[in-house]
Amino acid sequence: MPDTHEAPPTEREQHVLTAPVSTTSIATRSRTLSDSVPTTFGERVRDSIRYTRGRGALEIGIIFLAVLIGFIIAGLVAPNDFPFLAPSNLSGVISQSIPVLALLGIAAGILMIAGEFDLSLGANLGFSAIVFIRVSEEIGWGWGVAAALGSGIGIALVNGLIVVVTKIPSFIATLGMGFFWVGASFFVNGTAPAILSGAKDDVLTTLFVGDFGVFRMQLVWLLIMGVVGWLFLHRHKLGNHIFAVGGNAQAAKAISINPGRVKLLAFGIFGGLVAFAAILIAVRTNSMQPGSTVDYTLMAIAAAVVGGTSLLGGRGSIIGMIIGAALIRIIENGLILAKAPGFYIQLFVGLIIVVAAIFNKLMEGKAS
Amino acid sequence: MTETTAITEELLRVEGVTKRYGANTVLDDVSFTIGRNEVVGLLGDNGAGKSTLVKIMSGVVPMTQGAYFWEGTRYDGIDRQKTEELGVETIFQDSALVPQMSITRNIFMGREITNPLGLMKMREMDRITTEILDTVVTIEGIKSAKQLVGSLSGGQAQAVAIARAVHFKRSLLILDEPTSALAVRATEALLAYLRQLKGEGVSSVLVTHNLHHAYEVCDRHIVMNHGRKILDVRREETSVEELTAAVVEGAVGVERFRAGTF
Repeated sequence: MPDTHEAPPTEREQHVLTAPVSTTSIATRSRTLSDSVPTTFGERVRDSIRYTRGRGALEIGIIFLAVLIGFIIAGLVAPNDFPFLAPSNLSGVISQSIPVLALLGIAAGILMIAGEFDLSLGANLGFSAIVFIRVSEEIGWGWGVAAALGSGIGIALVNGLIVVVTKIPSFIATLGMGFFWVGASFFVNGTAPAILSGAKDDVLTTLFVGDFGVFRMQLVWLLIMGVVGWLFLHRHKLGNHIFAVGGNAQAAKAISINPGRVKLLAFGIFGGLVAFAAILIAVRTNSMQPGSTVDYTLMAIAAAVVGGTSLLGGRGSIIGMIIGAALIRIIENGLILAKAPGFYIQLFVGLIIVVAAIFNKLMEGKAS
Repeated sequence: MTETTAITEELLRVEGVTKRYGANTVLDDVSFTIGRNEVVGLLGDNGAGKSTLVKIMSGVVPMTQGAYFWEGTRYDGIDRQKTEELGVETIFQDSALVPQMSITRNIFMGREITNPLGLMKMREMDRITTEILDTVVTIEGIKSAKQLVGSLSGGQAQAVAIARAVHFKRSLLILDEPTSALAVRATEALLAYLRQLKGEGVSSVLVTHNLHHAYEVCDRHIVMNHGRKILDVRREETSVEELTAAVVEGAVGVERFRAGTF
């Protein structure tokens, strides 16, 4: 097809905007853009691959697939030494540890696309889980779910308001609030863990941690949230506004999008997802120790970054965030199965995060 | 009154606009009119108050004192929401578009075509964008509406921003230093395009410190100096030399030019 172009321009300056006026100094183009719109199925596939490159999900997805295939092969070759394919392992990794991190990665990622951070994620997670357990034990888990969502969204919106109104960087605002909510967890609950016991009936168990053999309910929730999140972020106009505000708040403002309102929306969604993850964790472990969830903050941000979300805003995808979380958890799982000592796992996970971030940065340059 | 204002029809008029930041007066009692189908050059050296004036015209920044009239009707407390409704679009230098987003998403940013649930009709938006890029303003080197704006050159990006304004039938286009990042040929095309817009009923304000560009394309020139309007002349009543004198030396320069001592 390149032969249909007349002398491909070598420099960017040579692409020139031409007005459809009869000025001799301006070359009028004969070939139109409509001519190059893909028509056949093959063309359309090539076109969509081309415009998926460098946007976050495609390249890291290929890496994830490669790792996964490697693990499957290892699991088939040496099922005893590397029991990756053992049902209990698959169910634990795919249905339990990936979904929670992926939901938190989506939460952190959406906020990062809007150009903000929330370093109180772990604190919010712990506090909302305690709220869920305590309210459930007092007046039933239906109220517990509502209260947890209220607490998660409320905490995030307070952060959002501080950032939007005072214009201090979200980094420092949410760092401070993170300490505050860890302290608040101890204040409302004491140092002993909050225990979920009497309120946990069959419905609650099935709804959030139901075990269907091959998969568990957490995976179903991830699929639901993933689809809804994708529709919202990539297909809804408000998702478009989140990208616009994070990418170039000035441009969004000039077109009369209110950046403050959009950022608050992103904080609200973040809070809702964090609260939901808190419920999943609490129902699975039946308890929550104040201050024990702080590590999730940076893991969630790492999942988003590994999945191609830009730390500067404006770039990222739901699929990428899920893949980022899955990649981290799968490699962690592989190291555990290979009986690597605990510090190795930290070491490798740390390396993966940095390497993946560098990789994504390189791929970003290939975007067209 | 009537003999000097040969302007066709009044679109935007500001009267006595003053802007203070604390004790610092950035704009001092500025009044002017932009007519329908007019291309107006807003000229001045750095710090003359051009940018602030642009922000006030587009409603991004409130004025300390003064009045804003649109088609003869006075609007108090004008903000961006209101100017958007009226049909003002500002293309700020380097910041009109979001580089990480596709051309389609940029064109429809804030004005998405959606179903009742708010979900965007991507195919329709891509199709219209392709049409806009082919007809409203033809831009060389763009391959697809799905291309990221960040992968475009400065000239192409400006063209996309202008195409957007035209497609949404804006009545007043304010371009803040549009040519500063452009190559020579792209600049020529842009200036030619401004004249073309005029024929389509779009007025434009060209903010620039390149007098030659302004002189070439504008029907009227407003020169600012230290926050004051010092010159407001029609093209045929002035020359590049007089404009130069006004920009460089302010009101004194104009006097000296007219006395023949510049």
